[in-house]
Amino acid sequence: MRVSPALQPANRLRDYPADGDAGDLFRGATPSVAAKWSAMADGLFALSEDAGLPAQDLIARQILDLGMSFRLTGDTEERPWPLTPMPLLIGAAEWAGIERGLIQRACLLEELAADIYGPQRMIAEGHLPAAVVAGSRYFARRMVGLEPRGNHYLHVYAVDLARGPGGQWRVLNDRLRLANGIGYALENRLAMARGTISLLSGINTRRLAHFFSDLREGIARDCQRENPRIALLTPGRFNQSYPEQAHLARYLGLPLVEGRDLTVSDDRLYVRTIAGPKRVDAVWRWIDTNALDPLAFDAHSAIGVPDLFDAWACGGLEMANWPGVEVLEAPAFAAFLPRLCRALLGEEPLLPNVATWWCGQPAEAGSVRARLNDLVVTPAFGQPVEALPGTKPVAAASLTPEERDALLTAMERRPMDYCGQEIVHLSTTPALLDDRFVPRAFTLRAFVARDRNGDWTVMPGGFARLSASAELSTTLMGEGDLSADVCVVDDAPRSQLAVTALGGVPAIRRGGGILASHAADNLYWFGRYCERAEMTTRIVRSILGSSIEVDAAAGYNPDIYARLVRLLHLWGAISEETAGLDASHACQAALAEAHLPGGVTCLLDRMRDVGLTLRDRFASDFWRVATRPMPPLPSSKPGIALRAARELVERFSALAGLIAEDVVRGPVWRFLDMGRRIERALLLCRIARQLGAAQDEAGAMGVLLDLCDSQITYRARYLAAPLRDPVLDLLLLDPDNPRSLAFQIRAINNHIDALPRLGEGQMPEQPEREARALLAPLLSLTIAEIDDALLQDMETRLLSLSEAITTRFFLQYEKSASGDRSHLLA
Amino acid sequence: MIYDVRHLTTVRYAGLVRLARFNLRLKPAPWPGQILHDYRLSVDPRPTSVQDETGPFIVNRSRLTIRAPISRLSVESRFRVEVTAAPLPDPDTAPTIDQVRHRALTRNDLSASGPATYLYASPIAAPSSEIAGWALPFFTPERNVIAAGRALMEALHAEFRYDGNATQIDTPPVEAFHHRRGVCQDFAHIMIIAARAHGIPAAYVSGYLRTLPPPGQEKLVGADATHAWVNLWCGDEHGWIGFDPTNAMIAGTDHIFTAMGRDYSDVAPLDGVFHGGAGQEMEVSVDVEPVG
Repeated sequence: MRVSPALQPANRLRDYPADGDAGDLFRGATPSVAAKWSAMADGLFALSEDAGLPAQDLIARQILDLGMSFRLTGDTEERPWPLTPMPLLIGAAEWAGIERGLIQRACLLEELAADIYGPQRMIAEGHLPAAVVAGSRYFARRMVGLEPRGNHYLHVYAVDLARGPGGQWRVLNDRLRLANGIGYALENRLAMARGTISLLSGINTRRLAHFFSDLREGIARDCQRENPRIALLTPGRFNQSYPEQAHLARYLGLPLVEGRDLTVSDDRLYVRTIAGPKRVDAVWRWIDTNALDPLAFDAHSAIGVPDLFDAWACGGLEMANWPGVEVLEAPAFAAFLPRLCRALLGEEPLLPNVATWWCGQPAEAGSVRARLNDLVVTPAFGQPVEALPGTKPVAAASLTPEERDALLTAMERRPMDYCGQEIVHLSTTPALLDDRFVPRAFTLRAFVARDRNGDWTVMPGGFARLSASAELSTTLMGEGDLSADVCVVDDAPRSQLAVTALGGVPAIRRGGGILASHAADNLYWFGRYCERAEMTTRIVRSILGSSIEVDAAAGYNPDIYARLVRLLHLWGAISEETAGLDASHACQAALAEAHLPGGVTCLLDRMRDVGLTLRDRFASDFWRVATRPMPPLPSSKPGIALRAARELVERFSALAGLIAEDVVRGPVWRFLDMGRRIERALLLCRIARQLGAAQDEAGAMGVLLDLCDSQITYRARYLAAPLRDPVLDLLLLDPDNPRSLAFQIRAINNHIDALPRLGEGQMPEQPEREARALLAPLLSLTIAEIDDALLQDMETRLLSLSEAITTRFFLQYEKSASGDRSHLLA
Repeated sequence: MIYDVRHLTTVRYAGLVRLARFNLRLKPAPWPGQILHDYRLSVDPRPTSVQDETGPFIVNRSRLTIRAPISRLSVESRFRVEVTAAPLPDPDTAPTIDQVRHRALTRNDLSASGPATYLYASPIAAPSSEIAGWALPFFTPERNVIAAGRALMEALHAEFRYDGNATQIDTPPVEAFHHRRGVCQDFAHIMIIAARAHGIPAAYVSGYLRTLPPPGQEKLVGADATHAWVNLWCGDEHGWIGFDPTNAMIAGTDHIFTAMGRDYSDVAPLDGVFHGGAGQEMEVSVDVEPVG
């Protein structure tokens, strides 16, 4: 046990170069909180010394393990998340003040949303100009007069806070549309907790878990049914915060759905699953109101659900948050909130927002003009305006004289598009950069949600953004480049009741919950791509001479080479021209091929692409292996391609192992495995046909055993060299060989038997009938009766089975690719 | 004037549409000076469901679902309408640009006919500094708003050429502005962008024109299809006044009002989600016959 770190000579924060007057979080902390800062700082260094790694690397490793990543707009690849190891520590007393202020603000925004979409008393009484509401593109006129069933317009609310040099907190932005960052706050904490072992609990850090169960139960309480199904509605994997959404869905156990998974029928919302449509009671939306329903809002929206409006308007669907509430995010509202707080709540605001003047009022416009150089100017509704470069605030003092004139003229014509705001100076926090503590300005994103009683609760912590440079110390720093965990610390440990003890013990469940049709589709294809890539790689490995026969490579007959290369060409691993090149070039091309459907690089890309939509279903270990990039192929030397092929085969084995050992035997596993089995069966038929016709029987059968990983079994069973009948019996008919055709077909039959049926009757469905018909010959024939025609027939039937599976499980919805979704105009 | 209006839309699809869910905005919404009689909407094939509602702008909407596979859709909207025109206010009594701009910001009216709703950028009428600059001479602060609107409308009519082949239904207004060509919809959007750029509330009006001119007069442009013009808000007293830049005239008894929104997207006669279908061909015919 360590003695009180504050007394230790190695106090790492002692020489921390922050100016006390600038309002540093550590320098301004009470003695007991300051001791925790020191304990944390020393603890990080102790951990780093023990591990022989910088603290930054300890955390970075956790981030990698958790699969935390993000994308900036325009990025094609996700980036690792930039978390600094030193958290912000906020004492219980200071936090209590923030909590009270945030809850008051959440109440105010709730009342205001209810007024704007209800009686509009604030407008009629002159507390809020109609032009402020109308100015936001998020004002959903169609929502006026509709009340949410549970009477809650807001369920979850995120807010950006700034701490001034004097320690006073203010609201910078309200976020009602998307609680962006809520998942990152969770991930930051997971990474910190894993990376720093007991440091966080050692300083009595409050836990976050309760907040998330509260949020869930808060949405559930407003639903019609007792055990509601709450879905997280995502715009899709191309969205910037998709990784965050997938992570949240997984953590909270919510189905992650896209618009195309959903359908509205009789004013109720259903998700299309492999077991038919299942009712959805509530949606936590990560989609703008305008895009939610192409029939009620933006007719061009391809990510929404037609008629979704009816589901919530008729009370059959709870929305978190209620459509249209994001109107309140417009910066212009900040100018009226203090007054609205008095009018709606009869209270003074506890937490001020950044002083804001809306120029749509002549007096305010006049004072903004008069003090222009002390202010920032910002588009009043978060939309680009004529005289400002973007949607971010601009310091008027930084404008050139011409820009300034242009701004003033534009403000004459359309004053309502502009707000003046005070420049907020930020206090700093110790950031651990390059093994030193340096002060960095920060903003904090906090999160508020309704709990099971409908009351507001604040996440005890949050997500801090740190300025990338020491010079930037005002809100003009932008969004910051670094993030840090925010820890609320108590003097004494709080009793940490288990989540289940607070929420009641949930009903015991088994299986993987619902599986959306399109997720099943993706799982199936993930399995197929994976198997196809593996077989291409095995052929490459075989050609390049990696069998247990020491001299196998040297001994291949040219006819066998030609047949293997033809196989590569047959399933689209190489082009016709490449197939004419020598074997080592063909192999290299099969690995590097990025466009043809059988090329390994192409298949890895597709696996990653499809896998992205399955982020909420894959464990991070699995995800990491599945998305590892292609091994480099710097030249076409056979040795390099061979090494890459070996590495890939090992990787595929690791994936197969993870699927076998880590995936619960529910529908997710069944579709993944079924995809693999069908692909393997198909490829096996093709390979057996090609090699079965080779002149050199022993050589061809040896290669076949090698491709199917069955050399050892064969040798244990037979002393003879590989001969056609025993080899084909082992690879086609032997039901106990996990690489045999019979084994694949039997596994497919088992999967189909275990999957749900749609109809009430017990009549077998199409996939079931086809799968049984495939199994019959394999059970009844002897190897002598199996000929090329029969294998060709098997191939055809396998493709037909795949079609049947697609039709039964995946195509329950009208495919409406963007190409054929017409937009009719008269 | 009393008119009989018949508006027929026929769409043919290259492939079968298995499920069609769409909006029709064809029935004229209530508007001062206009009385609607005998409205009839016929849709072939017969829809699975039809729901009628109003709003959220000055517009009637029918929501239709057709579940049977279709290769052809025809929609006929018929009605009789009585149109009287209020005498145009004396331009000299109209408020100035400055006064209208100020009043639009202070009026406590968030309704679909209030000025605040039509002050800002909308999905199609996105701000354009070029259009704003072009319109600058018309909007001097002391000028009266009706005179300014008329000058802007006349400038549009004089500088732009009506050309049905120059633009498509989804051509951005600023592109039509560059080419100085387009149809009524383009002219209306350009005029809306210009007026809003100077703080004057401007709305998109869809409607019809009488097909045959009175004896001795020229046929109006845009009479064979649905027409579009612009409502400018001219202060508390005068309210909305219709300016038709395609014909350089104030909307009167030749104009039949159907709907008003921020731009075309709020009042599109037909939009929705059609599953399947692939390509489509559309024919529209409009007949507006004076009956008295």
